[in-house]
Amino acid sequence: MNRVSLTLAATLISVAAGIPLANAKTPPNLLVVAKNIDDIVSLDPAQAYEFTSGEVVANIYNKLVEYNPAQIEKIEPGLAESWKISDDGKTITFKLKSGVKFASGNPVRPEDVVFSLRRVIVLKKAPAFILAQFGWTADNIDQMVKKVSDSEVSVSIAENFAPSFVLNALAARPGSIVDEKEAMKNAKDNDLGNAWLSRNSAGSGPFALRVWRPGESLVLDANKNHAGGPPKMNQIVFNHVAEASTQRLMVESGDADIARNLGPDQIAAVKDKAGIKVETYPQAALHFFSFNLKHDKLKNPALWEAMRYLIDYDGIANTLLRGQMKVHQTFWPSGFPGAVEDKPYKLDVAKAKDILAKANIQNLSVDMDMISSAPFTDIAQSMQATMAQAGIKVNLLPGTSAQVITKYRARQHEMMLLYWGPDFMDPHSNAKAFAYNVDNSDGSPQSTTTWRNSWAPAELSARTRAALVERDTAKRLDMYRELQRDVLKSSPWVMTFQAQAQVALRNDVKGFIHGPTNDLVLYRNVTK
Amino acid sequence: MSGAQSTMQTPNSRREARLIQFKIGLRRVVRNPSTLVGGLLVLTLLVMALIAPLIATHDPMAQILTDRLQPPSSAHWLGTDQLGRDIYSRLVYGAQPTLLIVILVIAFSAPFGLIIGMVAGYMGGWVETLLMRLTDIFMAFPRLILALALVSVLKPGLTNAVIAIAITAWPSYARLARAETLALRHADFVEAARGLGQSGRKIVMGQILPLCLSSAAIRATLDMAGIILTAAGLGFLGLGAQPPMAEWGAMIGTGRDHVFDAWWVAAAPGVAILLVSLGFNLLGDGLRDVLDPKHHD
Repeated sequence: MNRVSLTLAATLISVAAGIPLANAKTPPNLLVVAKNIDDIVSLDPAQAYEFTSGEVVANIYNKLVEYNPAQIEKIEPGLAESWKISDDGKTITFKLKSGVKFASGNPVRPEDVVFSLRRVIVLKKAPAFILAQFGWTADNIDQMVKKVSDSEVSVSIAENFAPSFVLNALAARPGSIVDEKEAMKNAKDNDLGNAWLSRNSAGSGPFALRVWRPGESLVLDANKNHAGGPPKMNQIVFNHVAEASTQRLMVESGDADIARNLGPDQIAAVKDKAGIKVETYPQAALHFFSFNLKHDKLKNPALWEAMRYLIDYDGIANTLLRGQMKVHQTFWPSGFPGAVEDKPYKLDVAKAKDILAKANIQNLSVDMDMISSAPFTDIAQSMQATMAQAGIKVNLLPGTSAQVITKYRARQHEMMLLYWGPDFMDPHSNAKAFAYNVDNSDGSPQSTTTWRNSWAPAELSARTRAALVERDTAKRLDMYRELQRDVLKSSPWVMTFQAQAQVALRNDVKGFIHGPTNDLVLYRNVTK
Repeated sequence: MSGAQSTMQTPNSRREARLIQFKIGLRRVVRNPSTLVGGLLVLTLLVMALIAPLIATHDPMAQILTDRLQPPSSAHWLGTDQLGRDIYSRLVYGAQPTLLIVILVIAFSAPFGLIIGMVAGYMGGWVETLLMRLTDIFMAFPRLILALALVSVLKPGLTNAVIAIAITAWPSYARLARAETLALRHADFVEAARGLGQSGRKIVMGQILPLCLSSAAIRATLDMAGIILTAAGLGFLGLGAQPPMAEWGAMIGTGRDHVFDAWWVAAAPGVAILLVSLGFNLLGDGLRDVLDPKHHD
C-alpha cells in the first residue's frame, strides 16, 4: 500500500511541478504494456498460478491442444496435429506436428511432452491438481503418460471422464510443453529445472522470456524459431505500474501502448481522448458473497433467499462500475458453453423483508470479510447500505487479499465477499467449486466454495459426479444447466457479477487478443 | 512573576491572583491573531462535532449511485463521493470521530506519561533508569510505523486506532514530566512537605503534578495536530475507522482513486485536516505564551 501511495505522490509532485511527462512514442516494433505485475511468483508453467504469470506463460509455451480465444468452446490443435480417443474413453493418443522447434532450436519430441506432464505431477505445485484430477500420481505417472512412437504420445486417465473435460484440462496452463533438454541442463537438486524456469523460459511459443525484474518490469523477446514464423513485435515490455491513475497518464502521453488496470473512472476519462481506444472483453471471473454455515445464524435458507433481493445489481454494475462488471447470477459465466443466463433477482427490499419476517429472522448482525481495494470496497459499501434497509447489519472487515483468503481457507469468516475464476474452461471446474462437496471435515480442506462455506449438498454432488462422466456432450451440458438453476435457487452464497476487462490501447495497436481468462491474453498477432 | 505584571495590579488573595493571571492570559490570547484563529478553528471543530445532525444537509450514509462524483453545487455544497454520498455532510459528521480520537488519545496517554515521568524523576536511581529506558524504546520507533504495526496486529478499527496512537503518544509526556520533576525535586516547598512527613505519593500528586500540568497542557494541544494526522493516516490506509463511518482520513483514501477527475472527493477532507491541525498548532503556541511562566515576555 505504501508503494502505491508513493507512486501517486511522485506522480502528483511531477504534475504539480509542471515537469512534462516524457512524450516520446514507443519504438515501432516494441509494445509497452502498463500493468500491475507484482503478483508473479513463478513463471514455471508447473507452478505459475497468478494472473500475470498465467498470461506470460501463455505467450511463451504451447500445449498439446489449445483454446481458440474467439470461440472458447473450440479446442484446436496446438503441438498435437491430431488425437484419437480409445473405445473405453480412458486413453487419448496425440500425434505431434513435425518440424516444430523450441526457442532453443531443439525439436519438440514426445519425450518433451512426457517430461512436461510428469514434472507437473512430481513437483506438485499449486496448479498440479488440474492434471491430478485424471488420477495421476507421482507413482503411476510413468504408466499414464507414455511415448508411443517418435511422433506419438499416449495419455491415460484413471476413470472414463468425458473426453471434452480431459482435453479442456490439458489445454490449461500446466499442460504447457517445456524443452526437456534446456530444463534439465539447468536443473538443480532434482528440481526438474523448477528454480531456473521460474525466471527463465524454455518454450515453443511466439515469445521467449528475456528478463523479469520483480516489481519493475518483464521483457519478452520474439521467438525466431516459432513454428508459424516470428511475431511482428520484436519485444513486449511489461512495465510494473501499480497505480491506475499513473497508467492512465502513461497511455495518454504515449509512454505505454496498452494500459491494463484502469478503473471505471479512468476509463471514462480516457475514452474520448484522441489517439486512445477502449475495448471491453468479457471475463470468466465471477463475483459473489457467501455465508459460512459453521455459524448457526447463517444456516437458514430463507436468509440466503432474502439476501438475493438486497443487492442493487443494476446500480452497482451500471453506475458504480460502469461496464467493468455485468450482472450474472449463475455459477458458470456467460459466453461459455452450458452457461445459464437467468437473472431472476433484483433489488426488492419489501420482498426481502417479507421473506425475513416469515422466517422470523430479526436483528441479524453479521461480519463480512472483503479485500480492501477497488472495486470490493465500493461494492461492499453499497451492499451494506441496501442490506441495512431490510434490518440486516453488516460489519465490513477489510483486509489484504492474503489476509482475507487465508481466513476464508480456514473457514473462520461469517460472510465473505470474493470472486472466483475457473481453473480450466470446462463447466466441471465451476460445478466442482459450487455444487460438489462430499467430505466436509475440517481435516480435509478443499479449494472449493462449497467446502470453504461448509456446505455439503449430497444430491448436487452426486449429479456433479454424473455430469463429469457423461460422454454425450449435449446431454452433459444440459446436466450442468440444471445444476446451475438449482444452485441459483438455493445455496449459501449470492452470485452477483461477471467481470469484464476494460483495456485502453493507443489507436495504432491492432491484433491484441484478450480472451475471457488471463491464459488467453495473447500478443502474437499484435501490430502497430 | 515578571515585573510587567506587578506594575499593573497587586493581588490581595490567591484567588484574585489567579483571576488576574487568567485575565492577562486572555488578553494575550486575544491580542495575538494567530492564537485567536487557532482557537476559532478548534472551536469550530467542537461545534461541528456537537451539532452535526443540525447542520448536515444530507444523511452522511445515504447512497445515491446515480449521483456519484457530482462536483460542488447548490444541492451538494462540496460535491458527492464515489457512492453518491454528500461530502459536506460526511465532513461535518467526520468531525465526531476526529474529535473522539483526539480526546481519547490524550485522556489515555497524558496521565500515563505524566505518572511514569514524575515517578521516574522523583524516585531516581534504578526506577528512573528502567522507566526512562522504556520510554526511550518507545520513542525510538517512528510514530506512524509503530501505530501501523499495532493496528494490524490488533485488527483495524477506531478503538484499536485510539489504543495504537495512545501507546505511541505517551513517551513525550513522560520525558516532560521527568524534566520538570527533576527541577522541582529539591525545591524548598517539596523539602518542606517531606519534612512535614508527607508520603512520596502525596508529594508527587499534591506538590509536583500541579506544576507539571501547564506544560503538559501545552504539549497536549500541540500534540493534537499530530494525533489527527496519525489517525487520518491510519484511516487513509484502511486501518482506522471502518466503512461506512465518515472519517476524514478514510475519505481521502477513497478519493485517491478519483483525484484526477473528481478532485473534490479528496480535497474537502484534506483541507479539513489541514485547518484543524493548523488550529491546534496555533492554539498550542498561544497557550504556551499564556501558561508557561518561562515564556513570558
